[in-house]
Amino acid sequence: MSDAYLVEPDMGFIKEVAALGGGDLKKCYQCATCSVVCPISPDNKPFPRKEMIAASWGLKDKLVGNADIWLCHNCGDCSTRCPRGAKPGDVLSAIRAYAITEYAIPKALGKAVNDPKKLPILLGIPVVIFIVLGLITGLLDFTPDGDQIVHSHFFSSWLVDMIMVPLSIWAATIFALGLKRFLADIHANALQEGKTDKKTIDPLEFGKAFLRIIPTILKHDKFNECTENRERSTAHMMVLFGFIGLFVVTSIFFVVLYIFQIHGPYSQLNPVKWLANISGIALVIGSVLMIKNRISQKDSVSNYKDWSLLGLALGLGLTGMLTEMTRLGELAGASYALYFIHLIFVFCLFAYLPFSKLAHLVYRTVAMTYTEYANRKW
Amino acid sequence: MDKKYGVYICTGCGIGDSLDVDGLCATVKKARKTAKTHPFLCGQDGVAMLKKDISDEGVNTLTIAACSRRVNFDIFRFDGCIVDRVNLREQVVWSHPKGDKSLEINHTQMLANDYLKMGMVRVEKVQLPEPYKLENFSRKILVIGGGVTGISAALDAAKVGYDVTIVEKEANLGGYAAKMRKQLPVNQPYTSLIPPMIADKIREVGSFANITVKTNTVVARIAGQPGEFTVTMKKPGETLEFDVPFPLPPEMRVDASGKELDKDKQNELYKEFNTGKNDILSLDPNGELFGAVVLAAGWRPYLPASGEFAHLGYGSIADVVTNHQFEEIAAKGKILRPSDGKEAQSVVFIQSPGQGDDKDFAYTGSVTSLVALKQAKYVREDYQDGKAYIFYQHIKTPGLQEHFYKSIQQDAGIFLTKGEVISVSKSGSGLIVEADNTLLGEKIQVKADMVVLGTGMVPATVDDPVINLAYRQGPGFRDNAIFNGYADSNFICFPYETQRTGVYAAGCIRRGLTIDESMEDAAGAALKAIQCIESTNRGVAVHPRSGDMSFPDFFFQRCTQCKRCTEECPFGALDDDEKGTPKPNPTRCRRCGTCMGACPERIIGFADYNVDSVGSMVKAIDVPSTDDFDDPPMRILGLVCENDAYPAIDIAGLNRLQFSADVRLIPIRCLGSLNVIWVKEALSKGMDGVFVLGCKHGDDYQCHFVKGSELASIRMKKIGEALTSLALEVERVAQFEIAIDEFDKVPTIINDFVKLVTDMGPNPLKGF
Repeated sequence: MSDAYLVEPDMGFIKEVAALGGGDLKKCYQCATCSVVCPISPDNKPFPRKEMIAASWGLKDKLVGNADIWLCHNCGDCSTRCPRGAKPGDVLSAIRAYAITEYAIPKALGKAVNDPKKLPILLGIPVVIFIVLGLITGLLDFTPDGDQIVHSHFFSSWLVDMIMVPLSIWAATIFALGLKRFLADIHANALQEGKTDKKTIDPLEFGKAFLRIIPTILKHDKFNECTENRERSTAHMMVLFGFIGLFVVTSIFFVVLYIFQIHGPYSQLNPVKWLANISGIALVIGSVLMIKNRISQKDSVSNYKDWSLLGLALGLGLTGMLTEMTRLGELAGASYALYFIHLIFVFCLFAYLPFSKLAHLVYRTVAMTYTEYANRKW
Repeated sequence: MDKKYGVYICTGCGIGDSLDVDGLCATVKKARKTAKTHPFLCGQDGVAMLKKDISDEGVNTLTIAACSRRVNFDIFRFDGCIVDRVNLREQVVWSHPKGDKSLEINHTQMLANDYLKMGMVRVEKVQLPEPYKLENFSRKILVIGGGVTGISAALDAAKVGYDVTIVEKEANLGGYAAKMRKQLPVNQPYTSLIPPMIADKIREVGSFANITVKTNTVVARIAGQPGEFTVTMKKPGETLEFDVPFPLPPEMRVDASGKELDKDKQNELYKEFNTGKNDILSLDPNGELFGAVVLAAGWRPYLPASGEFAHLGYGSIADVVTNHQFEEIAAKGKILRPSDGKEAQSVVFIQSPGQGDDKDFAYTGSVTSLVALKQAKYVREDYQDGKAYIFYQHIKTPGLQEHFYKSIQQDAGIFLTKGEVISVSKSGSGLIVEADNTLLGEKIQVKADMVVLGTGMVPATVDDPVINLAYRQGPGFRDNAIFNGYADSNFICFPYETQRTGVYAAGCIRRGLTIDESMEDAAGAALKAIQCIESTNRGVAVHPRSGDMSFPDFFFQRCTQCKRCTEECPFGALDDDEKGTPKPNPTRCRRCGTCMGACPERIIGFADYNVDSVGSMVKAIDVPSTDDFDDPPMRILGLVCENDAYPAIDIAGLNRLQFSADVRLIPIRCLGSLNVIWVKEALSKGMDGVFVLGCKHGDDYQCHFVKGSELASIRMKKIGEALTSLALEVERVAQFEIAIDEFDKVPTIINDFVKLVTDMGPNPLKGF
């Protein structure tokens, strides 16, 4: 028999999870309807019933480092069927938001990202950096000349990359630091709760598991098992592929610019440009659909963390597309202004990625990989 | 009364289609009575015909062959007339195939014929009952117990004009409700605790001139019967000659070898045993008269025995207390630990003693769950960072109290889990509670400053008879152990009823209740007491045969003083004198007829229900023999309880379930009233089998009269022995159980028994 676990409820944790959108968590009376109706919960130690009681008992250490909270795709089946209105889907979502801020340092920034009052400051940071750095280096020209609209004449590509390249390194570093702890924690938790058949983490095997899980992620296999929120899967897929497409485009043009020394704007006939346009449109449509779904969804709550991410995705896509359209429409002033705003969104994407809900991209992938690696029937 | 007979056959509802009505009329004619038929007897026209015959022709004894007596009973009730209902609809045409005249034996027609004859003979044998009137009738209500239940019952009864006396053994009114910090909510939204309401209630009592309060008082004896109870009161601890005597305990009724002592010796011992006390039959001249009693004596906190719950630290660790002790601490002010007076910021509430059993503590119920939730809230009220843990096997929060449970759940500092507490141990100055099989999925430990055990509320009737009835069967409720000592008879079917007519239980003496529930309970018991008083005044039964005017009549000249009636009466209605002659107390009686079934001399009967009336019905049944047919059909008698079995058979008919037409059913008031002579008569006249059909007996009995089917089973066993001596198979006589909702079992029970008897072959006594 295992040693007894000393329970020390953290009432602060309960309150924070409630503030992050899990306000109904204490309504749970442990009937386990949620675990039964969840289409993607494992048979062995299924979620979210056990997470619900751990949350209402304030057992932070059982939740933050628990891979299961990431296996949940917030289908909402549980929340719809919950006889008490405890909204397990939203509670897990809130716990995930809490976990993201736990693993991302500095914590103060994580708190700020989840605090609507801090939004002006967070948006102000890129503006200040752009202008200050642009004026110091002279790479920002508010009066670009030439008949053709060339965005780099206004906001030099050098300036863009001078900011964005270090920023992506920053994001990657924060993730790396967070993931190291995260992986150790979810492994320890899985060992304790008997959810793994592995004693240690073998990097090679873990890598193989990662390769095996990629198709599942891309095809949204798990997401598609949801019943309540099925439409969201398509929208989510559009957004994901939009981002992937734009990432590919950006990488290609980065190479084109720095290695082949060819400056944009590039021809609309260029296949890469096609990919860029299709991805941009997918991102816009996908995020609009997701916003629409959230508005019409009655069984679950949407709060700041959800809206800010959707706002970011839509903002990115919309400003990007509009920048291009105004350029083609030869509206120079509007196009430059939109480009500036677009760059603010890009900055936010990179700078706040490890702290925002978007970090699920990394944590969920790792958690799913771990689950695959741990041979957990899922 | 001079009987003028009338027989009426309704041909509606399929009766006329299935039966040869002319044939039935011929049967009536053979009995030298006249039959009238009507296609719609319960309709305006049909009833007008009956009324016309009653007023113009002077008909006063009606045999109505139509539907079951359980329907249209109000339509076919005529003042001053004897009415028998022959059930041609539910139990003949609806449950049997259409009578076929072309067959040699028309089973359905024979069945109808027999029932008609039985109905006609019954009305010949019965009389119209006359009400029993008391000499010293009192309308006053005695309420035993001055807690929230007693006070509420007194107020409810006083408000509708009854004089009430409350006796309270303590110096003040209020009971436990006056000792709490806060009480559970009684109004919407049922979410927060409220200050106890008892003070207002006590004040309200003072405003009623018709409520007399006697504190520091207990009941020494209640003698007599409902409507004229003579009550002697006394100070607690006082000894009076009118203290109630106790019956001789069973071990004193036998000699050293275990043989029962003779009557005189037992009387002598009884007197010795009750020295200084007057016998039950002597009335206190200074006693006060009451019509009915509300028993609201409440409860006392369960006190664990030394060493009980040692694994939970009770007795060895000062900071482990019961919920009652915790309430006392909370009522005094902030919750402080008994051991060192330190603030108890973390408190664990344990709802089940565990040790491999998921049972809650003894004498608990939903109220215990609610109290744990309430007391958890005290911890949160007193300390901002206070934590309250509740380990339960069951959380019971019925009705609107579910809202209270929900509101408690919302408190961030209250933690609930199902689980078995294994141990409570000391750790430094605090405690460690260890629990297994929790919803948290593993063995867990919790640090606590205090531990509270959710122990129960022991009804006062466990320690003491309380009511101290001067009844021959004893001062308290008989066989109360099957109710765990609660004053009850069958709380699901008959709330407030006890096993003693005129004594109505309310509040925690009946089961653990909240204040809200106790107040509601009090209203119920007060209404029952009023019903009892008013029914008694009209000379009719209170319950469950409400309004029944008949009562048992004894032909004392032939009484052999065997005491069986006194002993078997489930309600202690009979007292006997020194010689053993029963003294009936008609208003205590519930008219079940158990005494009639018990009496070996068959000297007990009711005006409209007696050994002869049922026996004559048995005799009226045609038993065809080989003289009549080559292969005569079987004839089987079914004596069925009219409370459960008879309705179940009716419902079977309503659902057109078919069963054998060889069976003749006679409803009886209760299987307790079954007199074995009926069985003997049936068999001796050649019937092939007899079964009795009644309710479930045992600890979870369903009998309206508590013991009826149990007594019947004892009598049927004895009859088996007699059958063997007659060279008849014991299997020809059987008893079956059925509940009112088990109508689907009717065909199987009946047909299987018919098959069993058919396989045995005809009764060898047939034709003699």
